[in-house]
Parts: sequence; structure tokens; C-alpha cells
Amino acid sequence: MEQLFSTGSFLAILGAAIAALAGCGSAIGIGYAGSAAAGVMAEDPKKFGSTLILQALPGTQGIYGLLIAFIILNKIGFLGGNLVDLTAAQGGWFFAGALPIGIVGIVSAIHQGKVCASGIMLISKKPEQIAKAMVYGAMVETYAVLALLISFLIINGIAL
Amino acid sequence: MSKISIIGLNNQKSSIIKDIMDSGVVEINSQDLKLSDPEWVPYVKKDGNEDEVVNYDAKISKINDVLITLEGYDKSKKPLFNTRKSISSIKFDEIINNIKNIENNVAKVVELSKTYNDLCSEQNRIETSILSLKPWVNYELPLELHETKYTSIFIGVVPTVSEIEKLKNDLEQETDKCLINILSSDKEQYYVTVICLTNEKDAVYEILKQFGFNNVEFKDLTGTAAENIALYEKRLKEISEKKEIVEKNISEYVPYKEEIQIYYDYLTIEKDKNKILSNMLKTDATFYTEGWIPDVSKKQLVQILKNYNCWFEINEPEDGEQYPILLNNNSFSQPFEAITELYSLPSSTNIDPTNIMALFYLLFFGLMLADVGYGLIMSAACFIVLKKFDIEGSLKKMMKMFFYCGLSTIFWGIMFGSYFGDALTTIARVMFNTDFVIKPLWINPIIEPMTLLIFSLVFGLIHLFVGMGIKAYMLIRDGHPLDALYDIGFWYGFIIGISLWLFGNTIIAGSNAVGKWMTIIFAIGLILTQGRAKDGLISKLLSGVLSLYGITSYLSDVLSYSRLLALGLATGVISSVISVLGSLGGTGIFASILLVVVLLIGHTFNIAINSLGTFVHAARLQYVEFFGKFYEGGGDPFNPFMRKTKYIKITK
Repeated sequence: MEQLFSTGSFLAILGAAIAALAGCGSAIGIGYAGSAAAGVMAEDPKKFGSTLILQALPGTQGIYGLLIAFIILNKIGFLGGNLVDLTAAQGGWFFAGALPIGIVGIVSAIHQGKVCASGIMLISKKPEQIAKAMVYGAMVETYAVLALLISFLIINGIAL
Repeated sequence: MSKISIIGLNNQKSSIIKDIMDSGVVEINSQDLKLSDPEWVPYVKKDGNEDEVVNYDAKISKINDVLITLEGYDKSKKPLFNTRKSISSIKFDEIINNIKNIENNVAKVVELSKTYNDLCSEQNRIETSILSLKPWVNYELPLELHETKYTSIFIGVVPTVSEIEKLKNDLEQETDKCLINILSSDKEQYYVTVICLTNEKDAVYEILKQFGFNNVEFKDLTGTAAENIALYEKRLKEISEKKEIVEKNISEYVPYKEEIQIYYDYLTIEKDKNKILSNMLKTDATFYTEGWIPDVSKKQLVQILKNYNCWFEINEPEDGEQYPILLNNNSFSQPFEAITELYSLPSSTNIDPTNIMALFYLLFFGLMLADVGYGLIMSAACFIVLKKFDIEGSLKKMMKMFFYCGLSTIFWGIMFGSYFGDALTTIARVMFNTDFVIKPLWINPIIEPMTLLIFSLVFGLIHLFVGMGIKAYMLIRDGHPLDALYDIGFWYGFIIGISLWLFGNTIIAGSNAVGKWMTIIFAIGLILTQGRAKDGLISKLLSGVLSLYGITSYLSDVLSYSRLLALGLATGVISSVISVLGSLGGTGIFASILLVVVLLIGHTFNIAINSLGTFVHAARLQYVEFFGKFYEGGGDPFNPFMRKTKYIKITK
């Protein structure tokens, strides 16, 4: 076990896996928004389009996580089939680089989901306010975007 | 926007109202305030024709129902967008002259749909009756028969919780001249008939009751259950035949749908003409009305009013008076009004930000999506919709806007060398086994993210400075030039100074010394001026010093623009994920098919999710960062008195 955790490529792959965990947050967030949207649909089926847009917003964190996971796997040659021989330190850097989006992604997606669910309630009463509902959602996403940026810059900067 | 007041003669009222409505350039205000104004009260009373409005409303809702019914029978293909049909006013009058015909058609459809509904409810009733008779279908005696000369017959149900075998036993023990017949059963109950001698009837009934027996009555039914079911089924068949005929009859009225729609619009127009009366005041011989008119339309209205014996006056709004907002932009930035409208219209003391915002919205949208292929799809789709459908209003604005945004996306796609990501390179490698790379015109953001990050932040700083500039302009316009200098000018200097101090040397050697002094000078300026609203020297200085903390809000505003890079990367990297997944098959014919399928699905997904994200975040940068610097919404949209038709557009 101890040996495993000092293997560079294992740490890097673990990092990719952690980055992809941002999808948990997206799943929960979309879940919140989706159940709110279904409730609104019961009253007014014409709102499908606008509620769907709001429901989709918390989905981006999962994509950011996927993105970082993919960049890691691609960079260490896991996808091409010729794995680069990483030192433990290099593996650790990849692991560290995955943490921001892995953690911030989960938290921000869950909360964005809550904001979007409320936004869906808002447009069920006032459909013309959809832009504001979306902007409220986008406010939460900012921090996922910042985390994505840092994750990307760390991983991009690792010299192999 | 100007204010217009009109006094006219009552006998010309309806034709003046009609002309104003046809021109569609005046918003007529409610005059309720004047009704409590002692200067006005002795002379005027409220005009209005509520009864007529209610009348029209009832008619309109009836016709709406008819249209919904006909819609259900209309088999022709529905267009993707609902558009209003153009119709000449001569044609319109012609159709409306035929009003009797249309009303007849409407009445017939109403009657037919009533018949249809009656048939449907009868069908439901019979279907439930059949269901309730089904368990008795094997019972061969007439249902109305409860007694013969020597026997009595019980028909009823026993709940399944009772032990039916025990019931049989008990009956046998009581008498041997009793026949119990279990016809059928379901989850809840057994359906049983019991025949016994009339003189033993009470004893048998006593036992049956112990087992929860319940009599079943068949109201008004004669004959056996099977006979009745057969009768019902025959009736059902008749009903469904009748329904078909009625349906066919209704669908014969589908060709009249258009006429009925025109009638609907006609009624709406007439209703509005009557409704607007309640916004007017009247005396015995005259009427008074007041409203807002956009400056560009003044001439048109004056032309109209000159034809009548009426007095009118056009005034500028009084200072501080709120007036309705009609955005007026050139044809390029007009589509971007949709973004402004989604936020909130400017208040009447603010300025319309659309012109400047349009440029930045285009720039940011393009930067974040940045792909030639996606841009082409977006522009082409919007172009086709605009050409093919006669759409109006904010949908049209949106379509035009996304057309421009697509062009910007193409531009930045060329700058970054992204054509469906690297799909072309992958296709060349998998299908043709060759190397084919399109070089970016500027940089590849995946390889040089830091360069693009810096540019994103610089774009952001420019955006913010422009926003602050607008604020300064408004302060100067309103006669507060010093406030503009203190609140905007000093901040400009302070922010530029800090930037030079920190990063200046990497661009121009030695500029950080300039930056240092700029920072210090403008910081002192801010400390001295930002507390000017406070009393007392100490608290003035203290708020001045505290105001420097405001730099953090500028910092977070600028950092927010890093999303330009991050979202651009998201589009690009997902594209390359799609390419990698698609090329997992190696090379050859099957690998090529796999690649095509993966590319199609992947890019469809990517364009959908990323254009949504781009739309939202480009709007957010305007709403939060840019508008936050100067904008004040809350304006009421200009809502002119016009023909608000749903189905047709009346042209001259």
C-alpha cells in the first residue's frame, strides 16, 4: 500500500479520478433542479424549455472535472497506451492539481443546484425573469470556473 | 419621449381612437389621479365601457376554445415558429364584413364539440356499467327476478375475507333446499347468487349476513347480464360511429380556421378600443386623453390629429418624471437589446447601454466558444430561421444576435485554430493516414494558456473602465464633474498605477517607478476625497482610508474575467476529448465509422452545453461586472396603444 502511494503514475491517476468526482456535485445539483422543474411542469408544461436551461446549469462542474481528468490522463500517456514513467513528486503534483476542481466542483455544483431550483420556482411565477435566475446560478459557478483555472494551470505547468 | 394631451369632440372619439391605434405610437396613460384632483373633478368624469369589454372577453374566450378544438383536428404540418400572417387592410375588412358567416361557423363548431363531449361522457358511463356487469355475465336468470312462486333469489357480493367454504357448509346445515352459486371473484369480493325456498328466506339471509353478504341492485335493468352487456356494447359501437361522424364534421371546419383567427384578432382589437376608454376622461361633449409618444413619431401623430377638430399639446417630460422606455439603436446593436431587456430596461434617468455592451458581448461570446465549426452552425441556423420564418419581437432579436455571435465565434476560432476542435486533424489521421494541421492565426490557448489569461484580464479591465467611464459621463451630464473626477478619475489612476507598479517592468522597462508614484498620489487623492460626505475631519479621513479597501472589489471583478479563458478551454478540451475517444479504433474503415459517429454525437453535445454556458457567462459579465459600475434598471417598457393581434399583421 505504502509503495502504491509513492508510485508517481498511481498518484496521477488517483488525481484524475478525484477530478472526475466533481460529477457527484453535478448529479446532486441537477437532481435538485430537476425535481423543482418537474413540479413546475405539472402546472405549466410550456415551461419545459426554460426550466431545462436552468436545470442544465449545475452540469458544467462535472464537465470541468472530466476535462481535468482527461488532461491528466492524456498528459501522462494513459490514453495513448504508453504511460510516462513519473516520479513520486510528479505524481503528487498531478494529484494536487486535481484537488481544486474535485472539491470546489462538488460543493459549487450542489449549491448551484439549489440556486437553480429556486430560480425554477421564480420563473414558474415570473417567466420573464429567467435571465436573473440564470445569473444567480452563474454567480455560484464562478468559483468552479476559478478552481478549473487553477487546476488547469497547475497541471499544464508540470514538466515531464 | 414626450407627453401628449388631447382634447377632442365626443362624436369624433371613436375615429380618433381608431387612427391612434392604427398608428400604434402612443402609450395612453391612466387618468385616475385627475379624478381625485379638485381642479379637475368639477368638470370631468371617467369614461369607460366596461360592459362591452366583458362582452368581448366572453366572445374571445369562446372563440379561443373553438380554435383549440380545431387545432386538434388540423392535420397539416405545424411550423417550427408561430408567425403572424400578413394581410391587407382591404382583405381584413372584406372578411370582417362577412362576420355573420364566421359567427355561424363558430356556433356550429361549438355545438359539434358539445355533442362530441356528450358522446364521450355517455361512452364513459356505459363503459363503467359494463365493468360492473362483467362479474355477472355467467348468471343466466334475468337480473330483475328476485322471487318465483316458491323460491327467493339473492344476488350480491361477499367479501373475500370471509370463508366462502364455511358459508356453504353453514347453508347446507341449515337447509338442503338452497343453491349457492359463486359466479366469479376478484381481489375484494365473491359474486354470488343464492336460491332458496321463500319460507326459508329469512333464515338463509341471516346466515348470509353473518358472512358480510351485501345485496346488489341493478337499477332499471331487465334481462340477463349477458344480454345487457350485449346491448351496451351495441350502444358503444353506435357512439363510436357517431363520434367519428362528429369528428369528421368538425374537421370540415378546419379550413375556416384562418377566418376564425382573423375574427379573434378583430374582436381583440375592438375590445382594446373599448378598454382604453377607461383611461380617458369625458365631459358631455368632449373627451380628454394623455399619453407618451416617442420623439421620432411626433410628426406622424400631428398629421393624424390635424384631420380632426381637436386640441393637442406635446410637452417634454417634467424634471424627474418617470417615462416609459423605448430603446432606439442602430441596426447592428438593436438585436442586443434582448440582453438589456432580459436584465431590465434603463430607468429614465439612465442611459441605454446596449450600443457599447453589444461590442463586448460579441467579443466575450466569441472568445468563450471560439470554434469555426460551432460558429458556422450557429450563424447558419439563425440565418435560415430569419430567412424562412417571419418571426418578430425578442425572438427575432435573439436570432439576429446569435447570428452575429456565431460570426464572432468563427473569428476567434480562426485565431485559435479550432475547427470542431481538432476534428479535421483526427479525421485526416484516422481516415487518410496523413498529417493535417491548421495553424492558429494567433495562439493555441491549450498550449499557451497564460498568454490568453493575461489578455482575458486586460479585456476585462477595459470593459470595467468603459463601464466606469459611462458613470463618469452621467455624473458630468448631471452637473457633478468633481464627483466624476474623485470617484472615477482617481480610481482610474490608482488601478493603472498599481498595475504598472506590479507588472509594468515586463512590458516597458522602468515603468514600475512611474506606477509606484501614480499609486501613491492617487491613493492620497482617494483618501482625501472618498470621505467627503461625512462630517468631521477624522471620520472623513477614516472613510477615505477605508475606501482603499475597495481595490479588492476591482480585483475580484477583473479576476472574474478569467472565465473567458476557462470556458474557452472547456470548449477546446472537450473537443479534443471527443477526438481522442473517436480515434480509439485505430485506422481503417471501421475506425472511420466509429470516428464519424463519435464526432457527431460528441460535437452535438458540446455545442449545446457550451453555447448555453457561453450565453449565460457572457451575459453575466455584462450584468454583474459591467452594469454594476453604472447601470440602474427598473424602466417600464413603452407599451403603445396598438393592434395587439395574435394571428395576423394588418398591412396597408
